[in-house]
Amino acid sequence: MTEDAVLLAPITGWVLLAIFSLLWVGLGIYWGQRNKSFEDHALAGRNVGLALGSATAAATWITSNTTMLAPQFALELGIWGMLAYSMAAFGLILFAPMAKRIRLLMPHGYTSGDFFRLRYGRTAWGIFLVFTLFYSLTWLVSMAMAGGILLEALAGIDYVWGMTVILAVCVIYTMRGGLAAVIGTDFIQSLIILVGIVVVGFAVLQNVSVDQIHANLTANKPELVDVLFPAALMAIFNNLLFGLGEVFHNNVWWSRAFAFREGVGSKAFLIGGLVWFPIPVAAGFIALASGALNVAVPSPDMVGPLVIANVLGEAGAIAIFIIVFCSLASSIDSLLAATSDLITEDVYRRLFHPSAAPETLKKMAQWITLALGVGTWAVCVPRIGTLASVLFFAGPLVGAMIWPIVTGLYWRRANSVGAIGGMLLGGGIGLVSYFQIGWYVASTIGTAVSMVWVLGAAWLSKDRYDWNLLKEAS
Amino acid sequence: MIFSSGFLTLLVYGSLAWCVLSALALGAMLLRDLLRGESW
Repeated sequence: MTEDAVLLAPITGWVLLAIFSLLWVGLGIYWGQRNKSFEDHALAGRNVGLALGSATAAATWITSNTTMLAPQFALELGIWGMLAYSMAAFGLILFAPMAKRIRLLMPHGYTSGDFFRLRYGRTAWGIFLVFTLFYSLTWLVSMAMAGGILLEALAGIDYVWGMTVILAVCVIYTMRGGLAAVIGTDFIQSLIILVGIVVVGFAVLQNVSVDQIHANLTANKPELVDVLFPAALMAIFNNLLFGLGEVFHNNVWWSRAFAFREGVGSKAFLIGGLVWFPIPVAAGFIALASGALNVAVPSPDMVGPLVIANVLGEAGAIAIFIIVFCSLASSIDSLLAATSDLITEDVYRRLFHPSAAPETLKKMAQWITLALGVGTWAVCVPRIGTLASVLFFAGPLVGAMIWPIVTGLYWRRANSVGAIGGMLLGGGIGLVSYFQIGWYVASTIGTAVSMVWVLGAAWLSKDRYDWNLLKEAS
Repeated sequence: MIFSSGFLTLLVYGSLAWCVLSALALGAMLLRDLLRGESW
């Protein structure tokens, strides 16, 4: 997209960027003053309440993909596409009881890596770290790239400058404030996103009715309202499993399970999932209106902003800019915090410095956050990949981790042979199906293969795991 | 077989109303937590 075709004047974009950057950094520094140890920095003192807990679960799951890719799903897969994207909410909803059990079994735990190390041993732990770091770093890079691309498309801000500012802001407030800053800003960001989507949605409906949208789709793109659209139906299962795999394994969510006050975790994840559930539909239906509104869509992943800006003008462009910026920040900060904690706890502490002092670990986590930011920036500068392709490539890997985690938390017979084989076979065969068939079946196949192996190994096993081994003192 | 216009209307307005309720619920929960000193 050229600068002539941008939706917002660059100066307006820079002003908005400056206002929100100052707000997030200021809050991060303020909230960071309460952090004295690694536990404060990484887990916000393990005392987060229900409101902040629910909002951070929802906000972290609202990525730029939710606000940008959901309209693309609607444009390409129709009504089922929006509903398929909403299925990712079940990742949060089904994690709710697991969060309670994680807190119960691991009262001193820090990361999802701690679980794999204690439950399945070092080999499974190593494979898990490779998978989860690959996924987390891929997600982080794709979010930062998306930030640069979107700011350039929306306001003509140069890709490298936009990406650099978003990344730098998130790195600064995450470094200074740790998880407390991430959770605090997530609350504000979640409210801004919800209100923004509602305002934009109702404003679009002032210009075109749902009946007009439906009539246009029926006449010109009937497959988008087809109840039996095959690719869309397969996308439902793929997104559901992708959501489960992502939430069940990633330290972004485990760190929150450890950080929420006792008794809060299950409620917060359930409410977070329910808050998130309608967002792909509320943001996605706008794409379905593009035909009825005669809006040309040269690039499917920009359909949402294009429709909004065409219908609502500058006010709509400002609204979508703020929604996108908040969506990006709420995910990038969480990934930075959770990944730096994972590297600090599972690599620095467990592999090299088991007796490191809490203050040293806190400083190390801050330096690792900075290093992650610099590394991500270096990878993003050449501007490779697209919004969707990078993310779904990792789908089979996260799908293959669902069963080792679920059985490991609830079934004493689950064992390391099952976990290792499940991750390697499920991830490997899932990747083959990604390339041989398509992204929409890769997570499903990876999860199914992993399930068969993990359940088979547990069924044949005579091992009975002692849950007390998970209660390792910090 | 296609989805009806009524179903799409329910989906669109339902999701927007759900978002409004979510925002109000989060705000109310934070207020309650702050008053009880349980925000974090």
